[in-house]
Amino acid sequence: MFAQVLVAEFVKLRRSRVTWFSLAALSLGPLAIALMMWIVREPGRAAKLGLLGTKANLSGLTATWPAYFSMLTLVVGMGGMLLLAFIVAYIFGREYTEGTAKNLLALPVGRHWFALAKLVVAAVWWAVLVVAVLAEGFVLGAALALPGFTTTAAVGAVRDALLAAAIAYLLVPVVAWIAMLGRGYLPPLGFAFAMLALGDVFSHTGWAAWFPWSIVPQFIGAIGKPATTIAAGSLVVVALTFLAGIAATIAQLRWADNAQ
Amino acid sequence: MSAETAIATRALTKRYRDVLAVDALDLDVRRGEIYGFLGRNGAGKTTTIRMLLGLIRPTGGDVEVLGRRVRPGTTASFARVGYLVEAATAYPNLTVRENLDVQRRLTRAPRAAVGEVIELMRLGGLADRRARVLSLGNKQRLSLARALLHRPELLILDEPANALDPAGIVEVRELLRSRASEQGVTVFVSSHILTEMAHLVDRIGIMHEGRLLEELDRDQLRAKERLYVEIGVSKPAQAATLLAAAGFAHVEHADGRLRVYGAQERVPEIARVLVGAGLDVSELTETHEDLERHFLRLTGGGD
Repeated sequence: MFAQVLVAEFVKLRRSRVTWFSLAALSLGPLAIALMMWIVREPGRAAKLGLLGTKANLSGLTATWPAYFSMLTLVVGMGGMLLLAFIVAYIFGREYTEGTAKNLLALPVGRHWFALAKLVVAAVWWAVLVVAVLAEGFVLGAALALPGFTTTAAVGAVRDALLAAAIAYLLVPVVAWIAMLGRGYLPPLGFAFAMLALGDVFSHTGWAAWFPWSIVPQFIGAIGKPATTIAAGSLVVVALTFLAGIAATIAQLRWADNAQ
Repeated sequence: MSAETAIATRALTKRYRDVLAVDALDLDVRRGEIYGFLGRNGAGKTTTIRMLLGLIRPTGGDVEVLGRRVRPGTTASFARVGYLVEAATAYPNLTVRENLDVQRRLTRAPRAAVGEVIELMRLGGLADRRARVLSLGNKQRLSLARALLHRPELLILDEPANALDPAGIVEVRELLRSRASEQGVTVFVSSHILTEMAHLVDRIGIMHEGRLLEELDRDQLRAKERLYVEIGVSKPAQAATLLAAAGFAHVEHADGRLRVYGAQERVPEIARVLVGAGLDVSELTETHEDLERHFLRLTGGGD
């Protein structure tokens, strides 16, 4: 039965503009980084473009593959945390915004399958985006002919980006729960922004390793220097957040009043 | 609950903080019948339907649908139930056919069921149109098609005639009738459109302020459409006794007035009996009671 629910969830995405919007939004990241790299490498030509050149020079960037990889990981990690929250808010929240949630609740299908199928759809969607954006990043980096490329650095960058993307994904069941609790798009998006802000606060208090929404920013260097590894305790926190999010999402679907 | 019962509720109650939406509702809907669930806006009809479908948790009491107890989150008997609750909704980016295909997968209906129900609900010309461009009436047809897709044994329909034009209303009425008479489908239908109910149902339950005020079967519904003489009189209880003694068999006393059924040819005689006993008669009117008038009187919405 899960297969049918999963197929139904994918059918619901047909002609959805949100899928294309998410791809366009995330692909702007590598484009922006590539543009900055070009400005740093060509300061004379960039100066003719105005303030952009000055800003890029002030940021202390170097136009090399290692710097480029570092920023690409940042785009996947930080941009991804927000975009993924948006995707999950859409997948779960649309059932309430479009008034279709009630049509799912009295069927010969356990309600937990809907929650799990939606999370699988989000995972597939997110995986496609991450792969597409990393591919775009490599193509743009190659087009710029940046110096300093090594296979080790490339593999390390891909590994870090995938790890950041995976951890970002593990935090989204909580966002899904908020989408159902708030019955729409806005509450989960507000929640995601609030958690990112709190993640920043916790990072400055020495609790970054224990607050789920601080772990990705700390790992990819959005706050301070990039961490080389993720502490086992942080992984446990993320895993517990994932499981708690799934449990809360299923419980909300199963036991809460679902009047619209 | 017997095997002949499609829906049974016992002391079913739903309270939202200070509001008692449904108050100790006992309901029995027999298999194969069309049961009209009538009430004004806010009477508790939709809340009851939501509890029948497990969409909300009762504050108290039990619900059984097709022999299985309904609890939120369980699949109960829902493979055999089709439903439409409140406004018609569909995925706006999907076509009519795709919306029904989603439903087909979730109800394990055969692939051919989509085409059949599109034809049944006369949605053929719109099958490849996106739901977002459908008129309200066609969205309602799509929602009804969704409810009918997997050939359910029980249809629970909340205001199914909403947004339909008069021809559509007749069409849906005929469809529900034929499902009930030819396939033995039980239909539980809520509405506030009284005339529509009178034409469709086998039995009717009238809800008001969360309580089931009255249930009437088809014969009783017809009886309510009888002619009667309405009497305003100073001592109604005494007047009722006098009229009964004078041979008027069907005298009802309600709200300080008397109704004498089957007596429209005997109005002068009624006047003689009452005035002769020294009672003050303020009104003596021949009236035709229809379901609407009966409903309004019951729910306090009439004159």
